[in-house]
Amino acid sequence: MNLEELEKQVQLQEDIQEIEHLQRKYGYYFDTNMWAEIVDLFSDNAESVEIVDHGVFYGKKGVRRIYWDMFSGGGTPRQSPPWMQFIVMQIGGVVDVSPDGKAARGRWQTWLCESKPYGAFNRQEWLHGYYENKYVKEDGQWKMSLLHWNNTFCSPFEDGWLNLPLMGWMPLPDADAPPTAFHPYPYFCNNVPYHYKHPITGK
Amino acid sequence: MNLEQLEKQVTRLEDIQEIENLQRMYGYYFDNSMYAEVIDLFSENTESVEITDHGVFRGKEAVRKMYGGMVGMPRPGWMFFEVMQSQGVIDVAPDGKTARGRWYTPSFECRPFGGTKKQTWQFGVYNNEYIKENGKWYFKKLHWNLTYWTSFERGFLKVPKLSDTPFPHADAPATAYHPYPSGYHVPYPFKHPVTGE
Repeated sequence: MNLEELEKQVQLQEDIQEIEHLQRKYGYYFDTNMWAEIVDLFSDNAESVEIVDHGVFYGKKGVRRIYWDMFSGGGTPRQSPPWMQFIVMQIGGVVDVSPDGKAARGRWQTWLCESKPYGAFNRQEWLHGYYENKYVKEDGQWKMSLLHWNNTFCSPFEDGWLNLPLMGWMPLPDADAPPTAFHPYPYFCNNVPYHYKHPITGK
Repeated sequence: MNLEQLEKQVTRLEDIQEIENLQRMYGYYFDNSMYAEVIDLFSENTESVEITDHGVFRGKEAVRKMYGGMVGMPRPGWMFFEVMQSQGVIDVAPDGKTARGRWYTPSFECRPFGGTKKQTWQFGVYNNEYIKENGKWYFKKLHWNLTYWTSFERGFLKVPKLSDTPFPHADAPATAYHPYPSGYHVPYPFKHPVTGE
């Protein structure tokens, strides 16, 4: 192996590492409602964001609309009480960088512990879901270009996924398009297509 | 450092990355019941598969027997097994041909118990071995040991395991099945990174 080939291989390892960190940082910012920081993780050429049945938000404008306008209330100081919590654990990334080293895809799963109000009630809930995301390298930095998170279940702590798979519908009125793949438990299987080929059979 | 040494180090990092992917892909195929894809992740020279108290299945034929029994089996939508492949520690052998990995697996499940449906929490530990053949990493040995398997409603303190599940066609009984609260710890495949012990 010559130096140039070796450099390429090292570059690939660095890319995977950076993308894994990017995705995990997204999670850490999300946990603490740092929506401006999340918007900044996305490329100016971002394709779209789609989270559960909120709908599809296109472009960097759409990124700002969902995280900043909708989640952050347009940047008004956060009114939600400290008991409200969204912990999204970013687990098991499989990241594939394209041969030209400029784009990548990643599949992850997530386990969540949330508490949030439903009308007048404070509820605690368990969630599980899958990401199939895209990343893009611009000016030497990896950024999010497409984020798609699909829910497996969103269930009350007390009742569980068998008794109550989904606690409510949450379409956002400002979405550009309706959700493309929202079929929660018990219809969730094979909803989120795999971006990668089987590593042995290549199928 | 010369080019050859550097090449060795890079290969080691690539190996760890590929093995992590292999283990996580196993999880992503398993949770969608893609057992044919799971079987193809195992080497033709597989040593064994041992899952909870199902027993030990030796060789690639037994891998097919163990997972293959489930291929094409209709599974109602409400049944599911979400096994989160977490916190891998991978050690590649100095010759770069084999590796060992330890993982944690918090899991959600839904499955029938007789005529009733149950939702359950599971937790367990993998101690797996991997082998590189023709430049690709495969499973050589998979061992998942159960810590607890409890009903969603009651929890592991009250119900550490829901039932016994030995498979009648196993080659040998389970080797290390001592669920909570036995205090049993699955032995570590690795040495202490600082003391070397």
